[in-house]
This record gives sequence, C-alpha cells and structure tokens, in this order.
Amino acid sequence: VMRLTKPTLFTNIPVTCEERDLPGNLFNQLMKDDPSTVKGAETLMLGEMLTLPQNFGNIFLGETFSSYISVHNDSSQVVKDILVKADLQTSSQRLNLSASSAAVAELKPDCCIDDVIHHEVKEIGTHILVCAVSYTTQTGEKMYFRKFFKFQVLKPLDVKTKFYNAETDEVFLEAQIQNITTSPMFMEKVSLEPSMMYNVAELNTVDTAGESESTFGARTYLQPMDTRQYLYCLKPKQEFAEKAGVIKGVTVIGKLDIVWKTNLGERGRLQTSQLQRMAPGYGDVRLSLETIPDTVNLEEPFDITCKITNCSERTMDLVLEMCNTNSIHWCGVSGRQLGKLHPSSSLHLALTLLSSVQGLQSVSGLRLTDTFLKRTYEYDDIAQVCVVSSEVKQS
Amino acid sequence: SNAKDAKSTSDEDDSRDIVQQKTQEEILFHEETIDLGGDEFESEGNETVSEDSNNFVDKLNEQMMESVIISDSPNNSEDDTGELGCLQEIVDQIEAKDNQKTQTEVDKEEFLSNESETEHEETPKDISEIGTDDQVSLKEESIQDAVKEEPKLGNNIPVETKPKNIDESTPEDQILSPSTTKPQSSEAEPIPVCTIFSQANNASSQPQLFLPDGFEPQMVKSPSFSSIIETPVKSNPQVVQPSPSLSKFFGDTVNTNTLASDFFDSFTTSNFISVSNPNASSSVPEQMSSLSNGGDGSSSNPTFPVQNGRPAAGGPSSSLEITQSPKPFSQIQAVFAGSDDPFATALNMSELDRRNDAWIPSEETRNVLISVATQQYSAVFIDKENLTMPGLKFDNIQGDAVKDLMLRFLGEQAAVKRQVLNANSVEQSFVGLKQLISSKNWRAAVDLCGRLLTAHGQGYKKSGLPASHTTDSLQLWFVRLALLVKLNLFQSAEMEFEPFGNLDQPDLYYEYYPNVYPGRKGSMVPFSMRILHAELPQYLGNPQESLDRLHSMKIICAKILENLEQGLAEDGSMTNITQENRQASVQLWRSRLGRVMYSMANCLLMMKVLLAVDAYHSVIKYYPQQEPQLLSGIGRIFLQIGDIKTAEKYFQDVEKVTHKLDGLQSQIMVLMNRAFLHLGQNNFAEAHRFFTEILRIDSSNAVANNNAAVCLLYLGKLKDSLRQLEGMVQQDPQHYLHESVLFNLTTMYELESSRSMQKKQALLEAVAVKEGDSFNTQCLKLG
Repeated sequence: VMRLTKPTLFTNIPVTCEERDLPGNLFNQLMKDDPSTVKGAETLMLGEMLTLPQNFGNIFLGETFSSYISVHNDSSQVVKDILVKADLQTSSQRLNLSASSAAVAELKPDCCIDDVIHHEVKEIGTHILVCAVSYTTQTGEKMYFRKFFKFQVLKPLDVKTKFYNAETDEVFLEAQIQNITTSPMFMEKVSLEPSMMYNVAELNTVDTAGESESTFGARTYLQPMDTRQYLYCLKPKQEFAEKAGVIKGVTVIGKLDIVWKTNLGERGRLQTSQLQRMAPGYGDVRLSLETIPDTVNLEEPFDITCKITNCSERTMDLVLEMCNTNSIHWCGVSGRQLGKLHPSSSLHLALTLLSSVQGLQSVSGLRLTDTFLKRTYEYDDIAQVCVVSSEVKQS
Repeated sequence: SNAKDAKSTSDEDDSRDIVQQKTQEEILFHEETIDLGGDEFESEGNETVSEDSNNFVDKLNEQMMESVIISDSPNNSEDDTGELGCLQEIVDQIEAKDNQKTQTEVDKEEFLSNESETEHEETPKDISEIGTDDQVSLKEESIQDAVKEEPKLGNNIPVETKPKNIDESTPEDQILSPSTTKPQSSEAEPIPVCTIFSQANNASSQPQLFLPDGFEPQMVKSPSFSSIIETPVKSNPQVVQPSPSLSKFFGDTVNTNTLASDFFDSFTTSNFISVSNPNASSSVPEQMSSLSNGGDGSSSNPTFPVQNGRPAAGGPSSSLEITQSPKPFSQIQAVFAGSDDPFATALNMSELDRRNDAWIPSEETRNVLISVATQQYSAVFIDKENLTMPGLKFDNIQGDAVKDLMLRFLGEQAAVKRQVLNANSVEQSFVGLKQLISSKNWRAAVDLCGRLLTAHGQGYKKSGLPASHTTDSLQLWFVRLALLVKLNLFQSAEMEFEPFGNLDQPDLYYEYYPNVYPGRKGSMVPFSMRILHAELPQYLGNPQESLDRLHSMKIICAKILENLEQGLAEDGSMTNITQENRQASVQLWRSRLGRVMYSMANCLLMMKVLLAVDAYHSVIKYYPQQEPQLLSGIGRIFLQIGDIKTAEKYFQDVEKVTHKLDGLQSQIMVLMNRAFLHLGQNNFAEAHRFFTEILRIDSSNAVANNNAAVCLLYLGKLKDSLRQLEGMVQQDPQHYLHESVLFNLTTMYELESSRSMQKKQALLEAVAVKEGDSFNTQCLKLG
C-alpha cells in the first residue's frame, strides 16, 4: 500500500563554471547530460522529472486520500478466489473504499491485483486503513490476513468570523482564513453560500476598467500561517425583509465554502458549519431611516424619512415626540398621533429638522409612545449628518 | 530516525495486539467511541444589541472574532454512534498486558533501528531529498490471521533484519581502512604530488604540446557559445614559447590573446602537467629538493616575505609555509628583474585577464592593495584576519558508497568486481582530475584536489596558516568545493569555504603579488567560485544569507557594467579599451549578471516565495534564448503552488514563443507542458497520453519516459509502470541510471512486493557497472 499524493518535481543543484575555469565546460557538460535538468536551461533548478511521493506526508481535512493497494503473489503457487477489501476506519464510522467487491478467480505467482482508492477525508483525527485479503491456496486452504495503516488527519485552516449589522438590514460578514499547514496554498474559491433568507455580495474584488480584480492582488496564495480576510455583504431577500419579525433572534446566515489547491493541483475543499448570528433585537417598535441627506446647510431645514415598524405581536397606537438637542432642532409639532400600527406592518414618516451647529451631527431625540401600554421608546443617534455653513456649500 | 523507528515498532506491536484482541473477542471494537474534540458548536457572539443604538461604529470594537468549526458534514457531531472506538486506547490497555510476549520482537526491532542510526552517522552530510525506507510507505502493520504460519506473507521486517545483522560490521571496517591508509601514503611519497612552481620556462610550456587542455584557453563568449579554440594552441605552440614581449604582437585578436594569457598563466603559476609528463621529468627532482630543504630555502631568501607583500605575522609557522615555493618565487623575480620597464609589464596584463578577473574590492581591501602597490619594497603589515588562510578540513572523504553497499548485500566477490577510478589511479594533475570528474568519480576528484592543494601548502590542518595564492590554487579550491556541493556535502563545503571569508581579502587579488603577477589586476577568485560561495548557505537552510551574498554580487556586476558603459575599465580605472573588447566585456558581464539573477531566482524558489517568478522573469532579459524554458519553469512553479489557471497562461505563452521556432525541442516542450497541465487537473490518463506522444517523437526522452511511468502508477497499472521504467534503464543505463528514476523504481518495487530487496540489489549491480563513486546510493533505498 502506498499513499498516492501528487508526485513532485525533481530539483537539481546547479553547479556551473566558466570556460576559463579549470574544469572548462566539464561541469556544464555534466549538467547537460543529467536527464533531470531542463535542456537548454540547465541552471533552472526546477526540473521536469516527476518523483513519486517520498513519504506519507500530511493529510488534511477536505483533501482526498488516494492510495494504491497492490496484492502481490510472492509465492510460487497459484492462489484462487482472492478477495481484497479496503476499509477506512474513522472515529465515527467505517467506510468501504474498495472499488469492486467481486473476488478475483486466480492470481498467478508474481502477479498482482491493483486497486487505487480515493476518499475525501471528512473527519479530523486518527484514521485507519484496513486492508483485508482472503484467498484459497492450491490445497484448498482458506487463508486470510489483514494489514492496518494508521494516519492522522489534520486541520488545514483556521476560520474566524465576525458579523456587523448595518443600519439597514444588511449584515456584513468578515471571515479570517488562516493557513495552518506548512505549505503555501492557492485559494481557488472562498465563497459564502447564504441561507435562503439572504442574498450575498462578495466584497473581495475591486472593479477596475471592467475587470474585477481581487483585493488580494493577482496572486491568491496563502503562505503558511498567513491569514486572509474576506468580506461579504448579506441582504435579506425582499420577501423576508418585509416581514420584520422573521429575522429575529438567532438566524442562520449561511456557510463558507473554501476550495484550495496545493502541489500539482492537489485539491481540498471545506465548508464551515452554518454560521449563525444573533439578529439585533429591535424591541417592539423599530425605527429605521429610509432617506437622509449626507450634507446639509447650517440652519437650513432638511427632510428625512423614517420607517416605523411594529415588531411586536400586538397592535400599537403611537404618538411621536420630538425633543431638540443642542444641535438638532425638529420642525413641526411634537406629540402628534401616528395612528394604529398592526403587527409586522410599518409606516413611513417624513420629518423636517435643522441643525444649529456645524460639523458631524447626530440625529437624536425621537420618542415614540405606545398609548396602549404607556410605554415610551427612545431613539437617539439614529443617523449622522454633516452640517456645513451655507457659504461653503455654495462655493 | 530512532524515534520514528521506535514508533513504528510500537505501532506494529499495537496492531498485533489489536488482532490478538480481535481474535479473542471481536466485539471489543464496537464498544468504545472516541471524541476527537472540536465538534462542539460555538455560538456566535452578537448579543449586544441595545434598542436605541444600532451604531455600526460601536460594534466594531465590541465584537471579537469567533472561532468556527470546519467540517464537511456538520452533522457528524451528532451521530457519535460509531462502530469502532479509539483503537489506540484499547491498544494501550492491552499493550501492557502483552508486553512480555513481544519483548523479544521488540529487541530485534531495536537492533534494527540502532543499525539504521549508525548508517546515518556514516553519511551525516548527505542531506538529500530522498527519504529513507521507513518514511515511504504507510507505516506498515501487518498481521496474519491465517491459521497456518506462512512466512512468505508475513511482515517483511524479520526477513530484512537478517542480512543486515550479518553484514553490518564488515563494510564499516572496509570504509575505514582506505581512509586511514590513503592520507599516509600521500604524505609519505611526495613524488606523485606536485608543487606550484616548476622551475623552468621551457619545462612548463612544452607540455602544452602534449596536453593542450592542461589549463583552459580563454576566449570571451556567451556561456552558450562553446566552440573550441584549442586547435591554435596545438598548431602553433611555438607562439607560446618566446619571451613575454612577444605577446604584444598578438595583442589584438582574440585567438592570440588566448595564447598570450595562456602562456602567462603557465609561466607564472605552474603546471601540474609537467610532473606527470615524461618530458618534464627533469623538473621533478628540483621540486623534491625545494620541498625537502624548504626550511633552508626561506632563510636563504630573507627578502621574500617582504617582497611578497606578506606580513611576517606567522612567525616560525609561517616560514614553514613559505618554504613550499621559495625557489620558484626567486626565479620568477629573477625573470622579471630585467623587465622592469612598465611597458613590458603592461603588455602582460592581457585583455582577457583583465576582463575575466575584474572585480571591485571593498574600500578596505582596496586601501591595502594600494599600499602594497606603492610600497613594493617594504613590508606591508596586514591583520591576520584579513588574510586568507585556507586548508583542507578533512583528509579523505569516504571511498565508494556503491562498493560498500555491494559488500553488504552482494558479498565480497561481487564487490571486488567493482572498479572505479580513484585518486591514485589517475595522473596527479589537472588531466587526471578532469578524468575523474567526467567519469563521475567526484569523491576521488575531491581527494585529488586535496592532494594537489597539499602540494600548494594548503593541505590538511593548514587552515589558519599563512598561504600564498595562485590562479591554480584557487581554481583547485573552486573545483574541490564545487564537487563537494555536487555531492551534497554542503557542510564540508561550508567548512572549507570559511577561511576565504567573503572572498574579498586583499591576498586574493593579483595586485597583492606585484612581483609574481606584475601588472596583473583583479581577483584570483573565479567568478563561478563566488557564485558557489553565495549559493551555498541556501542548501544549509539559510537562504537569506544566500540572497544577501547574491545581492552584493549583483551590485558589483552592475557597477562593472556601468563602468564599461562610461568608457572606463571594468574596475573603474581609466584604461583604454578597444570597442571590440569593450563589447566582449559587456557581453561577459551581462551574462554573469544574468547568472547571479538565476541564482537569486533559484534561491527564492527554494524559499517557496513567489518572488521567484519575478526573478525568473528578469533572468529572461539576460538569457533571451532560454525564454521558453524559463516560461515553462514559471508555469511549473504555479502548478506546484496549485494555481492551475496561471500555469496554463504561462504554458500558452510558451506556445506563442515557440510557435515562431519549430524544431523538436520546442515541440517536446509544448507537449510536456500540456501533460503537466493535465496532471494539475488530476487527469493522469490524459497526461500519460501526452508523455507518450513525446516518446513517439523522441523515444529516448528520459523525462517523458519516467513521467509516463509515474502516470501509469497513478492509473493503477503498477506492472506496466515498472516495465516502462525497467525498459528505460536497461536500454541506456549510461543515461538513465539517474537517481530520480531509480528512486521511482525502488519505490515501486517496495510497493509491488515485500521482497523488493532482490530487485533493488539487481539495480545496485547495474549501478556498480556504470556509475562512479559520486552516485547517491540513497535512491536505491537499500539502507
């Protein structure tokens, strides 16, 4: 049994000399004659000769374990009814990896039965390959033997995630992926498979002149112990966004799908478990901003649009109060009735206000009172707006 | 390796125990389950949401990165109802129980592991990529549940131990005996050994007639251009003969330049040819006398150390060294005493010497050299640290590893048949040296270099003692060190390189010896030796140092090119150089700069840094003729990293470049690249098709042959694969007994049968017939 990792390329050590040196072109000639050098460019270290894997190497979760199983008749007798069975024993299960379970009728001396098995490794930890061979000798004796091959499956990547909730319903996911193997990795694909409630936009490319360019540069390799940060923006799908109550509490966001390649295209693939996040609790009444100008003139009124959503299970009767702060002055009547609001429904509200102070100002001071329960909800720092003096804006 | 062996030993016991256990009660496995950890879910921390602040900015600071569990099937953690538990645990329990039982076996294994350890000690410097036996296959734990003991199918270790045990002691002794006798003999009889300076003019130039390749003729050319200009040397050797002033008549053309410089070299330095040449036999007694009464020689010639610009720092020990060549020195001085006029000496400074030897010393070294030049007749004192005092660090590196293995596995009779050249069986000269090198007896060649260097007074244990350097002695050092590197004896090479410092000490410049090399400027250190010196640390795990050294070489090369462009000589001095010569020099130094870049790229490649790609790109600028090969190489780098798409892009570029040229080689290159691409896509069948296609064009292509065989193995065709490799080796053993091929072959033998030993030994026999002592026996995996 031999594990079939990808073959490696033979590297040679170039030793050159010049015509004038003592050995003349002897060294160069030796290199030319060496079959492992690249003809015409003997100094190039990386040759073209393939060499078989020299040791078992490391195997990582998500990679494919390939192994050559050869049963060779070392004896001088013909044996019959050979059955070769290869099982992989993990901590949780036993898998049969043999391609065929049919017995081979006979095996002549110095002949062999070959099988190449493949298995995508799905568990970390100790694996044992159990090869069992049963056969019948010429004398009709039933023989049976087994061989065990033990190996450890290691974890290749370390993944950490972080969520940000935007003021809109968007969720930003930041994922750090660290290569904890000892060889460089080529990240072929890192994508977020969203759950059914979300649409995802990957924020890891920059559009330049129509071509999207990876933020990691043209070469997407991860050196050992390097970490890379991926960013995704998740938007709730329309049908879910409207039903405010649905996205609440712990929700499943989706899972990361990572495909990498190493030596000569040896491929590995992993998915994270479902990423979950605690949706921000909006309480009973949620107030979110629909529109707001980014820059406004000092002491000039401007409009904002708010959306008020009833997230509770009951109907509310709301009264809006507007409290001025040091800088923000609300225009209009405070304490106005907004009317009844049924569960999961929302209303839009246009408000006018002005700022008396320049600079970045926080919009605060909205109060909603539910007259049924006499409960008041306070909304401060709902948005920021940049206030400039009117001269500046005009010029 | 001991630990590993021990581990596999215990593994073996483990599995044996498992089976015993199994036979006793099959159920045991099903009882225990193992929790490998890491399966539990962690909740995401995002609970801190206050009603009135969804503030984005605040959140940024609050939230910490959460660890996420990766698993392909996240449900795994739920069904812990595995059939089998942790084998290891069970094993551990039982192990104690069965310890006594297996004790004898363990002993046997331990002996085995010890043995392999001693083998490693034998060749501790042979760091090679080829692993040892036990690494290769899976740790094999074989059990026989068969009712009847059947030794044939049993585990193969007991079978192997026997021959090893028996033969172990004998080869060790065999190795020792030659190594102890050889150095003695070389010291005892100095006759085959030669000194630096043979005495007479005619004696030194005459042998040129018979052995024109004693020291290389020189011509400027790009490295790829390799026409031979030995013929003029042969046809009119008389030109070489006359006095130095004659050389001016030939000063313009390249050919005569060669002759002039050739003459110069053979005159000032020595030649080894003379010793072995019957015509020159008259010089031998001379040499012997100069060797034997050397002590007197130095005292009779008290001005020598001073004139040589050498400090008298060494005291009595230094005088010992100086004795090696006092007579020739005085003779040379006598010769040049008459030619004091600057015109004649200027002529001696041949165009080619200047071009090739040019180097820019550091400020400090330059100052010393200037003071030597200006104070020719008074002593210049230099710190001992600034002098190069090399010496052999080991006497005789091991004999013939192939023969040792034959003794061990094939018996004494077979080993006797093994005939390779050794340092004794060739002329003690450059000719013999070349013979050894080209017959791949590099170990013997290293020995011979050592002997020749001993004759230069730079032999064993001479390190740290003052020495005088000549063109030849440095060339010998270069060859010796280069061979050590070729033999993968990097540590030895490093040790012997050490006294040379950074190859910039003043006594490594011709200017330091104004009397020996009047008018000659530049460095005695061959450029290739600098490359070697710079490359060495990367093989010893210090690529950063290699890069540093290569970088400073690059700066000097660039500076020289800049000087040339500004109309100066290479070293920046105001010397008139003809346009033609300037062109030749620019060409030479560009190619040297390219060579440095090449080494940098190789070094970066070893570091597995992608900067290597950029480096190879810049090499293309210096060696445009290698563009397709280099682009293919870059493509392979990307393949190795796993970036198949970029690799494909490079391979396409290669096809574009080679499109213009047709020819077999480029056709092969394209096919080879396509095959590699399929390999990268896991399509071994298709890769095999392309490799086979190459063989249709060029049936002797070793790479395609080997790679096709490797593909066959991955396709599950072990026998076919073996047949292909064996056929290839049998067809042309001269070429294809290459270590990579043999390594693949032995690996497959191991896979094929537990009785791979016989086949490996057959390979050893084949190797013994064809290969020299430099053969890397590790690829046979006989150890």
